[in-house]
Amino acid sequence: MYAYCGKILVADLEKKAFHTEPLEDNTALRFIGGRGMNVARLFADERRHIDPLSPESRFYIGVGPLNGTSFPGAARVNFTARSPQTGILGDSNTGGDFGPELKFAGYDQVILHGRSEKPCYLLLTDDGAEFRDASHLKGLDTIRTQAAIKKELGDTRVQVAAIGPASENGVLFSGIFCTGVRAAARTGMGRVLASKNVKAIAVRGRGGVKVARPQTFEAKIEHFIQAIKDHDEFPVRRRLGTTKLVSALNGLGCLSTRHFQQGTFEHTDSVSGEALEAQAKIKSRGCFSCTIPCSRVYKISGDFGTVTGEGPEFEGLAGFSSRIGCGSLSFSLRSCDLCNRLGLDVISTSEVISFSQELFQRGMLTSSEADGLDLSWGNEKSVMELIGKISRREGFGDILADGVRSAAQKLGRGQELAMHVKGLEIFQADPRGIKAYALGLAVASRGGDHLRSEPWFEFSGNAKEGLRRYGNPDSAFRLKTGGKGRVVKDFEERCALTDCLNACKNTIVNMEILDFESSADLLRDATGLEFDGEGLRTAAERIVNMERVYLQELGISRADDTLPERFRKEPMPGDNPTSGSVVELDTMLDEYYDARGWDKTTGLPTLKTLERLGIQTAR
Amino acid sequence: MYDLRVTVESVAGFCDLPMKPGDYFEVRGSALVLPEGGHICIWALQSLMPFLPAKQRVTNDPNDWIPRTTRLVCPDPKGGVVYRVERIGERAEKGPSHAVAEEATPRVRLVTDPSKCTKCRACELACSAAHGGTYSPDLSRIRIHSDEETCTDTPTVCHQCGTAPCVRACPVGALTRSPETGGLVLDRETCISCGACAKACPFGAIRMESSGMPLVCDLCGGSPACVKRCPTGAVMAVPMGNL
Repeated sequence: MYAYCGKILVADLEKKAFHTEPLEDNTALRFIGGRGMNVARLFADERRHIDPLSPESRFYIGVGPLNGTSFPGAARVNFTARSPQTGILGDSNTGGDFGPELKFAGYDQVILHGRSEKPCYLLLTDDGAEFRDASHLKGLDTIRTQAAIKKELGDTRVQVAAIGPASENGVLFSGIFCTGVRAAARTGMGRVLASKNVKAIAVRGRGGVKVARPQTFEAKIEHFIQAIKDHDEFPVRRRLGTTKLVSALNGLGCLSTRHFQQGTFEHTDSVSGEALEAQAKIKSRGCFSCTIPCSRVYKISGDFGTVTGEGPEFEGLAGFSSRIGCGSLSFSLRSCDLCNRLGLDVISTSEVISFSQELFQRGMLTSSEADGLDLSWGNEKSVMELIGKISRREGFGDILADGVRSAAQKLGRGQELAMHVKGLEIFQADPRGIKAYALGLAVASRGGDHLRSEPWFEFSGNAKEGLRRYGNPDSAFRLKTGGKGRVVKDFEERCALTDCLNACKNTIVNMEILDFESSADLLRDATGLEFDGEGLRTAAERIVNMERVYLQELGISRADDTLPERFRKEPMPGDNPTSGSVVELDTMLDEYYDARGWDKTTGLPTLKTLERLGIQTAR
Repeated sequence: MYDLRVTVESVAGFCDLPMKPGDYFEVRGSALVLPEGGHICIWALQSLMPFLPAKQRVTNDPNDWIPRTTRLVCPDPKGGVVYRVERIGERAEKGPSHAVAEEATPRVRLVTDPSKCTKCRACELACSAAHGGTYSPDLSRIRIHSDEETCTDTPTVCHQCGTAPCVRACPVGALTRSPETGGLVLDRETCISCGACAKACPFGAIRMESSGMPLVCDLCGGSPACVKRCPTGAVMAVPMGNL
């Protein structure tokens, strides 16, 4: 096979054995790569509903056909399993160097099952899998674990995906970290690895990725690189990456502030991406093979000392500033660094903390219930202590460590204030100011997540294009609802495609560098297989529908496609461009289900839709 | 390598040793030789000392400033004793010299700026693709070494040394320079995969691929693929003499 390695590695952690299986052309054409191939395997497995923390559960690592090639930003890797945090689909991906290295070692997918008797780490090479002792790595943070394994193997070119102490201690919203702080932290995939007694997966490949038509492929790469460099957004993304969103969302009046009680934050100028660039940035960094170095190395000092680190994304930066009501850049960076090292998801962590702060503000939670902590907004000391307590599942941290839905249940209060959808905490933009995102969060297959659809189009203001694409000029405006069902359907499929190519959504989805036709064109040159645009669109649709059927089997239906009450009922307060807005979810949902070919009452795929996509549901 | 003569050219101030104009000593191989009855001030000598072996080297690197530097001054500010260092003869070297005779002058040199390196490693892919049609960092001549604890990224590239240790180290003359581009060229038929070039490289820029052949930078025929692909200009091809 070209572009693909043609090989899947299956490792049994209990028996410390592995075997390989061929990747079939048909699987590649139907599911493309990464997320698609993982979901297809999960869906086809009769143990798909098993407790994800039981030894029998399967854990999938998937990469796509473009990983390892020179396509800009094809750096990502998907980790998939049933989520221990949400109970539904668990799927998280990250950039860096780990995904491409898997390809160089010769694998399109790696499947783990069983539970290792002792703590171990897996070393994957061109020759297969080696199960190595990890007793000495217990409790080590994510970055030190990566460094320790590289040192132990005597090879700095080894790529390591590691879990942190939070996963080992049983925190459900803990992730997998590679290439330093690159996090696949949503839906608790780190916790699944920990349950299998796997501290890390190291990979070192000596091989390469061959494409079918190298010259035409490279010519297209040149073209895409130029298109990225010519794009309006290139300069700002290169400077600030996603941190540009802190001040941008504040300007629009939908920056999550004090747990979504406000849409603007008075200290934005101190904690924005621009402030980070001016005060702490040392240099730019990027993912493997990417043209846009949107990440950054920073160095900052505070009363805690000096921290040199990488990142964060907007979600972390705003999570530990506006969301928790703290106007200190150094504190936000320090908190993000701590979460990364402990292996915590910054979105979920900042949600459970800001949730507690709001309960405290409303007198629904007392200091004595929270280990004596003063949970006033912006109390740096308390927030820092809580991060540590969560990671150790200690005291009040133990209540928060299963996620906000569970925390509200355990406390027996604040369910209406728990900012999650289907058990997954939502990000730092207020859905009331971005209606397509609001819909996307409500229907996302891994719970309240913006990266399942990333419908940037509603910021465009291009009414003409909105009419052309989605049959409604309103679709181009963030505060309107018309056409948003079709926008979200389209963008869910663009995101699914991107997750299968394991490339970056910033370039493919937000900057629209690739569409279905040009992807197919590129894939033909890369793989030699007969991909076509319509086939890719269908494949993306198939993946979205398959995920929905998986959710359906776990009891999800229209009633679950909702948003926390505040966004539906409380108009955005204050005097800002989003003031007065609420999310009118039902009309958007109707349009979305229609566009999807799903039943509007149940929110579930119709038989006709499933047949068209070739999804078998005997159950 | 060269033998040297170091002569007191002038005394601008006051030297009470004294060193007088015309006093000299010679460096022959690794021996310091004084004329009968001659002497050399140890304060002047200790400041001359690091320069002497450097001046002895054979180099045709246009960026090497040492051949163009001939005068050094005694560190005593009151003395102002100026020493002139001249090459007085080349002595035969041990080891193969055939390759050296054929070595052309490199035209450009890869220069890197770690502060601009984003560790995207697009250069590694471009290099391996340009040299074998496969995307394989393991086959790349350029390599980025990243440290996640310190957040630093260091490119390792062939420096196209003026007098290249790898070329000199090759026992069979398999490494030469392209007369057109000045880039290193490996004769794969002649190479015996001994690894001497990799060991000799002071920058660790040559690695042996699994087939046993060394990965040497040929500057891609004058227009390096890594330079073209680098998104930030962290890898540059700089004409010799323009540094």
